[in-house]
Amino acid sequence: MAVSAQMIEKDLAELWKSDPGEKTKIIGLQRVYTTNLVAYASDHEEGYRADLIMNDLAEKHPGRYILIRPAADKSEAPLRYYVLGHCFFGSGREKKVCCDLIKLVAQNEVIENLYGFTFSLLMPDLPVEFWWPGDLPYQNVYFDKMAEQSNRVWVDSSKFKDPIQSLSRLSAFWNSRYPHTLLGDLNWIRVQRWRALIAEMFDGEWAKYLKDVKKVSIAYGKGTQPTRSFFLACWLAAQMGWKYKGKRISEFPEKFEFEGPQGEVEVVLTPVPVRDIKLDRIFAIGLTTDGNQPALFTVIRDEDPHCVTARSEINQRVAFTRTVTFEHLQSNELLNVGLKHMEPDFIWKQTLQVIGTVLEKPDLTLV
Amino acid sequence: MATPILMENPLRQGLFADRVPAPCSLVIYGASGDLTHRKLVPALFDLYEKHLLPASFSLIGISRSKISDEEFKQGLKVALKESEPQLSDSLWNSFSQNFHYMAGGYDDFKTYQALSQMLDQVDQENGTSGNRIFYLSTPPNVFENIISNLGAAGLAKEEKGFARIVIEKPFGHDLESAQELNQKVKEVFKERQIYRIDHYLGKETVQNLLVMRFANSIFEPIWDRRYVDHIQITASEDMGVGSRAGYYESSGILRDMFQNHLFQVMSLVAMEPPVAFEANAIRDEKLKILKSIRPFNENTVYQWAVRGQYGPGYLSGEKVPGYREAEGVNPKSNTPTYAALKIFLDTWRWHGVPFLLRSGKRLPKRTTEVAIQFKQPPNLLFKTNVSDLSPNVMVIRIQPDEGITLKFETKVPGMSMEVRTVNMDFRYGTSFAEGTSEAYERLLLDCMLGDATLFIRGDEVEAAWAALMPVLNHWETTEPERHFPNYEAGTWGPAEADNLLEKPWRKWRRL
Repeated sequence: MAVSAQMIEKDLAELWKSDPGEKTKIIGLQRVYTTNLVAYASDHEEGYRADLIMNDLAEKHPGRYILIRPAADKSEAPLRYYVLGHCFFGSGREKKVCCDLIKLVAQNEVIENLYGFTFSLLMPDLPVEFWWPGDLPYQNVYFDKMAEQSNRVWVDSSKFKDPIQSLSRLSAFWNSRYPHTLLGDLNWIRVQRWRALIAEMFDGEWAKYLKDVKKVSIAYGKGTQPTRSFFLACWLAAQMGWKYKGKRISEFPEKFEFEGPQGEVEVVLTPVPVRDIKLDRIFAIGLTTDGNQPALFTVIRDEDPHCVTARSEINQRVAFTRTVTFEHLQSNELLNVGLKHMEPDFIWKQTLQVIGTVLEKPDLTLV
Repeated sequence: MATPILMENPLRQGLFADRVPAPCSLVIYGASGDLTHRKLVPALFDLYEKHLLPASFSLIGISRSKISDEEFKQGLKVALKESEPQLSDSLWNSFSQNFHYMAGGYDDFKTYQALSQMLDQVDQENGTSGNRIFYLSTPPNVFENIISNLGAAGLAKEEKGFARIVIEKPFGHDLESAQELNQKVKEVFKERQIYRIDHYLGKETVQNLLVMRFANSIFEPIWDRRYVDHIQITASEDMGVGSRAGYYESSGILRDMFQNHLFQVMSLVAMEPPVAFEANAIRDEKLKILKSIRPFNENTVYQWAVRGQYGPGYLSGEKVPGYREAEGVNPKSNTPTYAALKIFLDTWRWHGVPFLLRSGKRLPKRTTEVAIQFKQPPNLLFKTNVSDLSPNVMVIRIQPDEGITLKFETKVPGMSMEVRTVNMDFRYGTSFAEGTSEAYERLLLDCMLGDATLFIRGDEVEAAWAALMPVLNHWETTEPERHFPNYEAGTWGPAEADNLLEKPWRKWRRL
């Protein structure tokens, strides 16, 4: 029998109709929907991880969760579905809060065409967040249609197999192709706390040193792609009005230069051996100025693996230090942070534009 | 809100935490006290963890206790560990690196001279740019002394940076003392430098009153005498007076809860839309409400005001003593621990709509809420099956379990026409992942940012006292109508409170 949206909605309705026995266990059950979150996993493993993450997220952003993943076995039906209720105690602890998760498992020949089916399962009037956990696809109909219809698409550039090519494509085509859809990158959210720490070193009377920055040094974990380090450099360029002046790059360089209002600014990306490659994609960042009072502003991972220390030195004298907690954020936590804010992230948009000026132009015929 | 710091520092743009104040020093008077340990320093730490505390920030604690910087910090650390058990040494050291302590008498001018020098030194060493906040967390009897000494030491001047003063409640004991204190503080500080704190205004749900009323189009058209039958505002506590008996004996429930918290909440519920979301525009509108309170007179004080005092009773199955048995309380005390007021606002919008305010100690549970009860619909269609339709009620829960509930009538499924009241619920705790911030966290941040929206202006304080004085004067000069104690601990207060309801369909909400 073909699967229909009515069948799924009926099963969900049954799920929430508590029987008398159940009532004695769950007193005061409340269904809450604040968003739609749709995830598309390209393989079984990715589907498994996405499932766990969605379960965790449901407690922070209760909503309608839809997970699409490919069937593990070719002998399975073309399309199968599962409906699951997810209940937890809200902060009041008086009532159980519940929302639902729909899993669609499909054979490869139908999976890309499930966009219409997905639309029919969305909760009306709520935002649609579309999460693509894997590599940026080429010519994927599902991605394309969902990106057109969603409020926001989430990608994770740390999962891109060719980050330069993919970021270059996103920079080149996103706004023209999906003008009404926001683009979020979990990898950009990872950079946010580094941005906050760098920013706070330039508050108040320290702001005057910003214009004199001549060199940006970023140390990152050896053996990883310095995508996040590159984001930081391009973010600084976007905020400070620096323009890229070199040849477009097809792989992350060790050095590149921007032209700022006060002259050249050099960016140096250095791989360093680190304790934990997962945690230390960025290990340290330093901004050096050459004004009347040479200054060095650094944010470095502390000996305590849960902390980082921000520090500034003016004329070789320590001006201030501050140590703060800095836990590694998992994908569920990154999405949690991202889903909290619905407004467009203009700084990300500007940074992506700068990225587009540095990276080699993409082959748009492949999009 | 764009702040000067955001304009100066382009790297701040787009960070979710963009409301970061300028560098400053916070001077806390009464630094060895409970409020500093339990509320202020944990709130500062939360701001620090959220990157909302300025990078250059200093705290100077002042009190009479002769302790060293290290002992002061150790005391704060121990207290903070209670709310932050995972607090590591490196984090604490970084957070508290610019904390200092100064022992001194509040009336000793030398303390203020020494403070002035210390602040200059801190500005130089820590880049706090001459910005200062003086937080009075002391008993109110030393407020005037501190304020005049700050003035004499030149610390209220804003030559290098800002100088602000935060004054904890109670602001005055009555209208006269509030006017005196206002005059005293205004001799030294300008009104824009003065932040009179009422922590109720820092609560998320109280702020949400403005959003709910003025960011939605469905509520405002029915928010008036044509549709609203009455409004109940309740702030109940299950606790007794605890260690505050000394203070409570001289204040009572009206001073403790009505003059500030309940009147402020009522103002936000009742006020007209302000012309801007800006401190003085909002405070102008709140002031109009406080000034529109119909004055109590010798007759109406009997009809519209009920007082009570709890006797022994049971709470959570445990026997609890009465108020008069509490340590530090006069065994013949007539201090009210419960009050209910019926207030009429003489405005076009609210003419004839009673605002029923009640608050008490040792009531069955701790809760604060605003309930807007709408007029009963005419029961023309369903009268053969339903004797009475329940009125719609919108409940705004301020604490605990912050949220909004709308009660409305619906048909019970089945062949008969049965109507039942159901709740439509919005809860902060379920719809938003992030918990609500502590009130002090928000208020400290606002003060550092120079945003006085959630603080009370001098004329508001005086208008609130003026409205309350006839009741206070009457109660302090007459015996209670029924001998105290007149309600049992663990119950919802004296039965006389029902007399305020006036109409048969009005009932105090069972919370």
